Amino acid sequence: MQAVDIAAAVRAGHVRAIDMVERCLAGLAQADHLAAVTRVLAARARAEAAQVDAAIAHGHDPGPLAGVPYGVKDLFDVVGLPTTAGSSLYADAAPATHDAEAICRLRGAGAVLVATLNMDEFAYGFATINATHGTTRNPHDVTRLAGGSSGGSAAVVAAGLMAFSLGTDTNGSIRVPASLTGIYGLKPTHGALPMAGVFPFAESFDDAGPFTTSVADMRCIWQVLTGSPVDGAAPTDLRVARLGGRFRDNADPDQLAAIDAIAPHAPIIELPEIARARSAAFLITAFEGGALHADALGRAAMQFDPATRDRLMAGALLPRALYDEALAFRRDFKQQTAVVIADYDVLLAPAAPCVAPLIADPRIVIDGGMVPARSDLGIHTQPISFTGLPALSVPLRRPGRLPLGLQLIGKPGGEAALMAFAEMLEGTGLTGQGLTGIASPVEELA
Amino acid sequence: MRRSLSLPSVDPFLVWLVAVVTAASILPVRGGIAGWFGLATNLAVALLFFLHGAKLSRASILGGIGNWRLHVLVLGSTYVLFPLIGLATTALDGWLIDPRLGVGLLFLTLLPSTVQSSIAFTALARGNVAGAVCSASLSNLLGIGLTPLLVGLLLRTGGTGALSSWGSVQTIALQLLVPFVGGHLLRPLIGGWVDRNKAILQPVDRSSILLVVYTAFSAAVVNGIWTKVTVPQLGLLLVLSAVILGLVMVANVLVARLAGLPREDAIVLLFCGSKKSLVSGVPMAAALFAPATVGMVVLPLMIFHQLQLFACAALAGRFSRQANLAEAVSRIPQGSEQAAEAAAARGFTIPDACMPGVVANLALLGQHAKTLSGGNR
Repeated sequence: MQAVDIAAAVRAGHVRAIDMVERCLAGLAQADHLAAVTRVLAARARAEAAQVDAAIAHGHDPGPLAGVPYGVKDLFDVVGLPTTAGSSLYADAAPATHDAEAICRLRGAGAVLVATLNMDEFAYGFATINATHGTTRNPHDVTRLAGGSSGGSAAVVAAGLMAFSLGTDTNGSIRVPASLTGIYGLKPTHGALPMAGVFPFAESFDDAGPFTTSVADMRCIWQVLTGSPVDGAAPTDLRVARLGGRFRDNADPDQLAAIDAIAPHAPIIELPEIARARSAAFLITAFEGGALHADALGRAAMQFDPATRDRLMAGALLPRALYDEALAFRRDFKQQTAVVIADYDVLLAPAAPCVAPLIADPRIVIDGGMVPARSDLGIHTQPISFTGLPALSVPLRRPGRLPLGLQLIGKPGGEAALMAFAEMLEGTGLTGQGLTGIASPVEELA
Repeated sequence: MRRSLSLPSVDPFLVWLVAVVTAASILPVRGGIAGWFGLATNLAVALLFFLHGAKLSRASILGGIGNWRLHVLVLGSTYVLFPLIGLATTALDGWLIDPRLGVGLLFLTLLPSTVQSSIAFTALARGNVAGAVCSASLSNLLGIGLTPLLVGLLLRTGGTGALSSWGSVQTIALQLLVPFVGGHLLRPLIGGWVDRNKAILQPVDRSSILLVVYTAFSAAVVNGIWTKVTVPQLGLLLVLSAVILGLVMVANVLVARLAGLPREDAIVLLFCGSKKSLVSGVPMAAALFAPATVGMVVLPLMIFHQLQLFACAALAGRFSRQANLAEAVSRIPQGSEQAAEAAAARGFTIPDACMPGVVANLALLGQHAKTLSGGNR
């Protein structure tokens, strides 16, 4: 059920917020096998739902997300709880004194926070393999990864346990799991959504963003989080291009077929020096992540998740000069990219390069060789984060098959164009049934 | 919603150059103050050479002197390639370009290389400074005889033909070689300090270039550079200067590749071999040409000089970044020993259980660093 439908029903008095919350809590209780949730906030959720129901009883409108249960990645500040960023290292940290700004805005719109959600420790990974909370499983095939680092946020929405959730995206941590679980995920223009009260990873690239099952929900949550309406853009007026080069070299054939079906006559353009851009993003992320955790690594290295500890230590040992050079390259790359894409509103590219890898063998094929999924699922998302451009991951409609997603990439501040284009794909499609849009997991959950 | 705003990423030094040219156009230094500026410029150049003398080891200098292949290539570019291109431009005289400016174009191609800016740009680009000092000095000293000879062969000048050769020798000796040798002789005393404070060399390099540009361009403005020719002729001069410079630079890059020059020497050939000296050219023109034509003859040189500074500043910035990146890549710890040392320097210890993983991740980051530096695509 979409968030906008739940909110409409609650606002109309057809259903109570507390009933939606209880239904959500019951679903979560039966979904432990997904390892998607780190903390269930039942008491808080019931209290917030009661406030929504009370407002309605008094004739007040709680907002456009009235009574909609949702969850947040385990790195958003939640008042009264330690912010752990998926790590046991901070399990006993001082509780947050305020909610993260994004949570405050959602609460102001009537949404009800129900849970914090699993992630790669400190958001360092594309797999959501977490030593403390387990490996999040893909609702479409529980033997496969849900992707990461916002894997828990993606899994609960894909499983239908929540209508939406919040994650963060540093190098693809929203778009990769959205692609692998067959839902929508938005990485906004860098800095467009509030990051106050969010545990950082690599601040040059960190962004918060929502996961949803429809463009209508995405549009609604965007309006709530930004406080401004989405300007309508006519999708027929949008100028579209297809990204070539490495974006087409390492893609599932179905992704390429879908891109070509969506925009058969759109030019194929290449971003300059894309391999260098990805490597620069890798280095900047490693350096900033390492610098952030250097003190803690010195204090308690063995309390880190083994999967992230060694990567963070290596990042902490990178020379500052290398980081400075990567940043200098980034400035040039952003300018060159702006010139290349100047004539287009929407660029089409794969999101994750393949379907969800098996948990038992978390590797993928890149350039003909097997590489770790944890570090390389973001091959197509990382260069986009590097530019700060907004990108919306949209699911291809593939009932009965493992999900695949595409990225719709826009200009800075171009989220409205991306949503208009996604809505066109979702609504009219090219096959009569819609080329994009979610397909529910084959396995019925909850 | 916040939109990201960014200014174009232009080398700040180029911005400084534009600012200095603009300042000289609006507020040219003249009269007595020009004399003070000239003195300041000479002192800055002398300081530059003093510091480079103190920085370079004896082995580097001897290596620079003995690098005959490099010197021959630089001289070939300055006194063979340039004059051939200059002769080709004479085909444009009369129908496309004012003959007096045509003479100026050919004249500029016969001039020696610059010393100060060639070396300063070579230093900025992390090239072979010792080689540049020797190549550029040799080019300049030989130019005292070679340029008038070439002018006599290829141009009818109407001048006296009397050159102050001894004056040029004195300038080079006093302003460049004496400080350089002096700095080098003091190296046992101050070399350590200079090595520890290498960062001060770049501001000295850059400020000396800016002072030269400001002083020279002021003189050109005071002499009426903007009133002597029409705007279309000025534009044409700019285009021809760019073509000449481009041809020489491309040729030098190709020659460096064919000759298998190391990167540091290729930078010397590119910078020393593509430069023409304003400092030498103006007095030579005054001596070689009739006084009434000197202004027009040196105008192409003025424009070429500005253009070469801008082109070399952009290239030097690019080469500098490449060199910085290569150096940074080489500083990524490799192996457990280096990783442990780097960790200790940052205040933490790598537990034994983590070492294999840390080393493996450093190797992965090293691969990405190589890709970033363009050596591992």
